[in-house]
Amino acid sequence: MKKETKALSGASQDAYFRRVLKAHPNLSAAERDQIVRQLREEVAQLRLRVNVHGDIAASPSPPSTRASQPAAAIPQTAVADATLPFDPYSPNVVVVVRKSGREAALAALTAIDSTENLRLLARQQRLNFDADVSSAAEIRTAIVMAAERRIANRVAAAG
Amino acid sequence: MVQFLTVTNRKGGVGKSTMAVMLAHAAAAWSGRRVLVMDLDTQCNASLMLIGGERWEKACRSGHTISDYFYDRFDKVAEDESAYVVNNAGDVARARTAPGAVSLLPGSQRLEDIQGELLLKHSKKDLDADAVAVQVRGRMKRLMRHFGMDFDLVILDCPPGLSFAALAALDLANHVLVPFRPDFVSQFALDRVAMLIEGVETSEQLATIPLGKRRYSCLPNCWTGDGYERLLIDQLALDHPLLNTRIPLLASIARAFDWEETKKTIEEKYADALPHLRELHHEIMGAPEPRARTAHA
Repeated sequence: MKKETKALSGASQDAYFRRVLKAHPNLSAAERDQIVRQLREEVAQLRLRVNVHGDIAASPSPPSTRASQPAAAIPQTAVADATLPFDPYSPNVVVVVRKSGREAALAALTAIDSTENLRLLARQQRLNFDADVSSAAEIRTAIVMAAERRIANRVAAAG
Repeated sequence: MVQFLTVTNRKGGVGKSTMAVMLAHAAAAWSGRRVLVMDLDTQCNASLMLIGGERWEKACRSGHTISDYFYDRFDKVAEDESAYVVNNAGDVARARTAPGAVSLLPGSQRLEDIQGELLLKHSKKDLDADAVAVQVRGRMKRLMRHFGMDFDLVILDCPPGLSFAALAALDLANHVLVPFRPDFVSQFALDRVAMLIEGVETSEQLATIPLGKRRYSCLPNCWTGDGYERLLIDQLALDHPLLNTRIPLLASIARAFDWEETKKTIEEKYADALPHLRELHHEIMGAPEPRARTAHA
């Protein structure tokens, strides 16, 4: 079948990395974030294969992806994921804070550049903050603080 | 050897009675077990699901409910308790090849009153209220355990909240099933009921018990699988043992509990919920026997 390619960079490239890694449940959220950060530093642009009908050139089973692998070794399986919209439930900020701490959560959120996407993530994960917070860095901090409040609330309610 | 499975959650409306009845049908039909459902909830929903309104009312009138059982036998030695049990309960037909069957110790709207009466009756000058409560609970536990001689599986359907009977059922359980809806308040309810089940007072103490050693497992019910539910499940999985089974929000489950006199197969009764019930049955009945609890005995 004739193949075409699609170039990804920046946020769409990050989204692609996250989708690929999310297919591997053996990786923790913190590990996934670490790998995404590394790939982001090393990979300037990706070209992904799609067929002439715009369908996905997917294979059924995703092989494992490790941080040490070059971007070219990332399987073709997640081409579909790259075209999916932003997933506001990833990373699960509360889980990352609980398991790896606030710095890891902040680092995980740096993979999301767009303030719109950060706000969407905050809304969907019920991690709300003041409306006057505007920069991406401030929003990330506010999201992590909201996650910490949420965790504290739960501990308090347990009695 | 009999197993006592307690179904509980302090939060109401999470599907305790529904799951208790579904598991009773599944264990009888697929594992060939003689199952007794003990209805400890004053709403009596499990009773109504299993024997319908008329038979339940008849049991109430004839004094053969859980509250009558506790009241009549509280100060007596154990004897034949079969008069309190309604056999051939449920509307799932028994398979010709399987010995399994569902029986019911019917619930009663008077159970809370009876517990209060028992508490007063056994109050003594030299005992404080807590000590009397422990005695009442202990006696209830022994009375409930008595049914273990005639059944392979006793499912104790608890009310929301903490009645003496519910606490006794937690003490007695080999395993505790905690259905919950994956929403904001449910996480608080799980945290609290988990501490109660494990007999600890703080979340820090609870955290010292490995998930694999807990006496309970949590069952997501009314599952739609949306992003927020998945988010919550990931968060809850850090603190509680969750079953892999997810019971979806299905009309067929709600319809399955319209009481009908006509018996049907379990496949007919549960329709498209059947694969989920199979998975639940496998996880609960196929699991190794959990450790028994000795605290508060």
